[in-house]
Amino acid sequence: MVDKKNNLKFKTKNVSVFYGSKQAINKISLDIEEKQITALIGPSGCGKSTFLRCLNRMNDVISNCSVNGKILLDGNNIYSDEIDPVLLRAKVGMVFQKPNPFPKSIFENIAYGPRIHGIGNNRAELTDLVHHSLEQAGLIDEVKDRLDDIATGLSGGQQQRICIARAIAVNPDVILMDEPCSALDPIATAKIEELMSSLSKSYTIIIVTHSMQQAGRVSQKTAFFHMGDLIEYGETPKIFTQPDQQKTQDYITGRFG
Amino acid sequence: MIDKNIDQLKRLKLRKNAEMRLKVYGILSISLALIMLATLMISIGLSGYSALQQAYVKLEINVDSKKILDEKGGFSNQKALLVNWDGIVSNSFITNFPEITKRSEKRSLRALMSSNAGYELRQYFQKNPDDLDENITIWLSASDDFDQYMKGRFNTSVDEKDRRLSNQQLKWIDFLAMEKISKLKFNTSFFVNADSREPESAGILGAVVGSTLTLTITILFALPLAVMASVYLEYFAKPGRLTDFIEVNINNLAAIPSIVFGLLGLSVFLGFFGLPRSAPLVGGLCLGLMTIPTIIIASRASIRAVPPSIKDAALALGASRMQAALHHVLPLAAPGILTGTIIGMAQALGETAPLLMIGMVAFIIETPDSFTSAATAMPVQIFMWSDSAERAFYERSSLAILFLVGFLIIMNSLAVFLRRKFEKKW
Repeated sequence: MVDKKNNLKFKTKNVSVFYGSKQAINKISLDIEEKQITALIGPSGCGKSTFLRCLNRMNDVISNCSVNGKILLDGNNIYSDEIDPVLLRAKVGMVFQKPNPFPKSIFENIAYGPRIHGIGNNRAELTDLVHHSLEQAGLIDEVKDRLDDIATGLSGGQQQRICIARAIAVNPDVILMDEPCSALDPIATAKIEELMSSLSKSYTIIIVTHSMQQAGRVSQKTAFFHMGDLIEYGETPKIFTQPDQQKTQDYITGRFG
Repeated sequence: MIDKNIDQLKRLKLRKNAEMRLKVYGILSISLALIMLATLMISIGLSGYSALQQAYVKLEINVDSKKILDEKGGFSNQKALLVNWDGIVSNSFITNFPEITKRSEKRSLRALMSSNAGYELRQYFQKNPDDLDENITIWLSASDDFDQYMKGRFNTSVDEKDRRLSNQQLKWIDFLAMEKISKLKFNTSFFVNADSREPESAGILGAVVGSTLTLTITILFALPLAVMASVYLEYFAKPGRLTDFIEVNINNLAAIPSIVFGLLGLSVFLGFFGLPRSAPLVGGLCLGLMTIPTIIIASRASIRAVPPSIKDAALALGASRMQAALHHVLPLAAPGILTGTIIGMAQALGETAPLLMIGMVAFIIETPDSFTSAATAMPVQIFMWSDSAERAFYERSSLAILFLVGFLIIMNSLAVFLRRKFEKKW
């Protein structure tokens, strides 16, 4: 029995990633708890995004990228041959830095995921699902009258929430967010942060962020990466107030990065 | 106010002058291109417009139905074969000149009618058998020299014995024109006939249909193959020596002289598969092989131009690579792919060399009615006409060039229309 109140969702052991011969991250071992927000922080190029993309095997797309080590999702190694990356990505959704809705209608954007996974077979079910997803993403009041409008015509913040709703629609366990607010203004950012907190009741959220304030505001746990190494990992308040490592201290006080 | 010293002002002026010069150069080169295009089109138009008209001669004719109709009163091809249609035409024609009795004079008079006039008469009665036994007035084609003289394109300053029409013949034509027995009328045969040895019956329809059939095969063959190849190369091929090798060779293929594709078609499609010669099917396949590299290069460029975030979004939702490519990337790349296809098709439309090897550079008098019947293409038709000795073919090849250009304009406008339709706003 684990002595914590939360179950572990992800368990990673000695994960190293290479782009060709260049090592991006070095032997990261990190456990991520269920239904919490975990923030990954660190200066640019420290490997936090690379690590995040390992968790749903989006690195497979990059041709010369190789991943060593073990990543367990609910106890199953996601890099084993039995796991299909396509099914994995339905379990572990992702939201990107720049809002990237498909240049289609709002409805089609949300309905695409369920459709390819065979969820919501008839129009009525699909409509329900779309509405429910938009509701969870806090967007329903803004767009319910124009579901057939093209999604790329919305504002940046709305587009990002469309992307979140789209990820929710396939009913994942985990949502990975790669700097979801870096292209947004403060008000849109506040909305997304609020949304993350409410979503964390049902989903495990892992967020990469450049903003330490954001990490401090939303996350329960924070991991600090530097030059491909995991320097420190712990409860967010502790990391931000009394970190164990000198490097963490230097970074959060703004001495470098 | 910003302070400017002398030095800064000088540099500013130089920079403005340079910008001005560049603008002027640009305008100059565009105007030059436009002037050249206009010169080309005007000169072709001027030499080609007269082919829209053709000299016809009015004849009074009465044909006995017993010679032509079978027992049931229908048109009998067998009987019609035995009728001397040319004789009927020339006898009627000669009645315009009762004073002529000498055999040699009659012969040179007969030469003024088209040698296809008898055939035209037969065609008329085949369509209108009710007009048999009646005195009818019919306009039949005059010979090409007659036609050229009436259009003022016959050079009379040449010594009489070096000319195709004697002074006597010219006088007869003047007389016919004055009496309104012969007239320039709209040249229908140019639009409804295929090729002929006689310029007055030669038409472009056979070549237009041939080109259409050929290009249909080309696009059906080349577009799917090229798009599939580019999706594979962009999305599935693992980078490595083999992929590099394929890439280099696709680029090489685009630069191969087109006649080589004709040779390939000759040995593979005709020699190995035994497909029919001169057929649009084979021509289309050869031109398709030639077009594939062009479309692949354009398609890959436009697939690569689709932001990778769209592909990432689809993959992150659990779409397979194929679904990401087919559902999201290809629709966005479609306008670019279409442009590449049209460039390739325009190239194929103007190509004669590959057709040479598979027998489509040929004299074909029937308008093709299937993908396997003998056919020729528009550029081939232009080439063959411009190669003919008869002056009347000169204006016809110019008009055919205008047709070819028109065909291209239609194809390009279609591409622009489709582009607009598929283009997504971001």
